[in-house]
Amino acid sequence: MSGDLFGLIPWTIESPFSSSYVVSPSGDVEIIVWICIAIAVYSAFRVIVEPDVMRKLPFLNVFSFSISGIIALLIPQPLGIIAAVAYFVGSTFESNAIASTWAGGVED
Amino acid sequence: MNEFLLLPFFLIIIAGSLYAGLARDPYVKIIAISITGGAIMPLIIMRGYLDVASALAVIIPLSTVFLLQLFKKGVV
Repeated sequence: MSGDLFGLIPWTIESPFSSSYVVSPSGDVEIIVWICIAIAVYSAFRVIVEPDVMRKLPFLNVFSFSISGIIALLIPQPLGIIAAVAYFVGSTFESNAIASTWAGGVED
Repeated sequence: MNEFLLLPFFLIIIAGSLYAGLARDPYVKIIAISITGGAIMPLIIMRGYLDVASALAVIIPLSTVFLLQLFKKGVV
């Protein structure tokens, strides 16, 4: 998609985020994507402002879930669903690994 | 692609990177790196590199687990 990058640049450039494989979400899907973006921004904000490490981790998990939803909604293709599932599993594994290590880990 | 969809992810990446640089606790640092890695994923997806995104979704948690093993040994 060609654009002037929010009006900041006077000349018209080709956007780097343009691909023939990606269709722009429209209608109800765009509303759902914006809801997921709002959840992602709020959970990232809560992760930053929470003082306790253990209270950050549920919000990190929520952030990962919202990103997985955005990935699945943006690409209506089987490979996009595979990427969303891979990120869902990987990020949940990551959050649980951080929580387990912080809590002391498995006793030998 | 609607370019305004990208703007929140830019903000999250910048906030996560600054938080990772300024935090003192190593666990907080790794949580901030996770935020940055998560916000990068939609940008890769919107460009169309689905295979790269699938590979990164596996590589980023594995690298975090390797760092956590260093935490447990007391190296970091």
